[in-house]
Amino acid sequence: MTNIDLKRVGKVACLIYLTAVVLFTVGAWDRIFSASLFGVRFAWIYPGAVVLISLLLYFYLKHLRHAQEKGTKSAGLFFLQTMHRYRFLIEQLVQRDFKIKYKRSVLGAFWSFLNPLLMMIVQYVVFSHLLGIRGNVEHYAIYLLCGIVMWNGFNDCSTQSMRSITSNAALITKVYVPKYIYPVTKVLSASINIVLSMIPLLLVTAIYGLFNGLYLSKAVLLLPFGLLLMLIFCVGMGFFLSSLMVFFHDIEFLWGFVSTLWMYATPIIYSLSMFEEKGATWLVKVEQFNPLYHYIQFIRTIILERQSPAFSEYGICLAFSLGLFLLGFFMFRKVQDKFILYL
Amino acid sequence: MAEEKQLMLSIQDVSMRFRKEEDHSGSLKETVISAFSGKLKFTEFYALTHVSFDVYKGDVLGIIGRNGAGKSTILKIISGIMKPTEGKVDRYGNIVPMLELGSGFDMDLSGQENVFLNGAILGYDKEFLHSKYDEILEFSELHDFINMPLRNYSSGMIMRLAFSIATVVKPEILIVDEILAVGDENFQRKSRARMMELMSGGTTVLFVSHDLNQIREMCNRVVWLDGGTVRLQGPCKEVCDAYRL
Repeated sequence: MTNIDLKRVGKVACLIYLTAVVLFTVGAWDRIFSASLFGVRFAWIYPGAVVLISLLLYFYLKHLRHAQEKGTKSAGLFFLQTMHRYRFLIEQLVQRDFKIKYKRSVLGAFWSFLNPLLMMIVQYVVFSHLLGIRGNVEHYAIYLLCGIVMWNGFNDCSTQSMRSITSNAALITKVYVPKYIYPVTKVLSASINIVLSMIPLLLVTAIYGLFNGLYLSKAVLLLPFGLLLMLIFCVGMGFFLSSLMVFFHDIEFLWGFVSTLWMYATPIIYSLSMFEEKGATWLVKVEQFNPLYHYIQFIRTIILERQSPAFSEYGICLAFSLGLFLLGFFMFRKVQDKFILYL
Repeated sequence: MAEEKQLMLSIQDVSMRFRKEEDHSGSLKETVISAFSGKLKFTEFYALTHVSFDVYKGDVLGIIGRNGAGKSTILKIISGIMKPTEGKVDRYGNIVPMLELGSGFDMDLSGQENVFLNGAILGYDKEFLHSKYDEILEFSELHDFINMPLRNYSSGMIMRLAFSIATVVKPEILIVDEILAVGDENFQRKSRARMMELMSGGTTVLFVSHDLNQIREMCNRVVWLDGGTVRLQGPCKEVCDAYRL
């Protein structure tokens, strides 16, 4: 086993934690001050929570160092060692996917900007002007763009990672590599596109806002949290779909249908208030169980309402993300040894 | 025995069972239907049964046997690609499998990009690849083409590049499925020399071949697999003579 430099790991972990705390504190400042938890003002708990988590982080790093010195088993240490060992491979696979995607196109990565924009224009014209679905949604163009960007990101991630095992069959049958790497790298390479497509979203919002009084606020700092939560969800979905795909190639076609259905079931082009107007309040309740609704709403709150989502939203999104991630992970782990027999 | 030899690989009582579903079509509908109608039949088939042998440091172990004797299966189990149904394999060193050259190549990437991609797949690290890049380029003789996408390469050029990447390391355990002699005559000579150099350099080698002359020439020990079991194992000459009969 290679010895990893835990000091560096610690430094990186601290840096990430610090950035997260700063982003969150600045971005969600108003919420922190106004919200209350179990009758206690959140502002009182918040500093304590920050200190508590940093203490936990400190003790966990200490535990890892202890485990490394004594050579005892530790899941966290094993994970870090595996990551360290295959870091270069992950990097190369992500690079490959990203390079290949736009390799033979003239505009290259610029398509990541252009695609959501074009989609937005088409859908805006069709739904808002031709069909008049916009309802009473304010800033409908931006509302639509938020939905499209997030949905495309999710769809891209899940479709790419679904094929990750079957398309890498040539490698899996020849070289031993932990198989988790394949769906994870697909999500990572697709996530570059999501991050890139945030740029046109913010740019269009800024330009649109100049004329319509919608300004970007410091809540934009919270965007990474929303994206990260959705990406964790995507990784879980990738584990789930890719392992099913090995055994049943039907999944590819089934998923094509399910994802279309899912897209129309998610308030991307319409809004929940339309359900209410039509008296279908039960549909509003059903949407509460749609994870994509929550991820999209997360982004919309940040951009359209210019504030942090309610803390309960963070909880709901996190529950969906971790839930599917763990479910997918354990399923993947259970069947991964059988992949080779079916590829 | 004068000196204690260091154990590199220990294959303990390994069995590999394959379940052959009667015409598995990989379709959800058919699986569900046949599962409900009780027609989901498996024919079990053992590719390996209770195979055990040890490999020590510096050994060049030949594995011989007829087609379907389980040679490729045991190599896949040793390199960790397959998990055995029963038994286990202990490994005491890093393994570089050379089962099929260039299986990780991407045709749309350039030769240079593929060197790093393929190197990463084989488990080399970044610093190592950077330091050996020139050597790989030198050996593959692809100076003028290294920045071209692989789809424009001839098949000989692809094999030359793949061979150069795969043999740039000095692994502790090297797994070779047939001696790799690729390219034109000049390159074949070079690659054969490189293989010999690797095999004689203190590396432990597992080597599968149908060419008994090659086995006799290179190996010090031989395992003869027959129908999934070890028929005979021991010093090279002894086993090869028995195999011939």
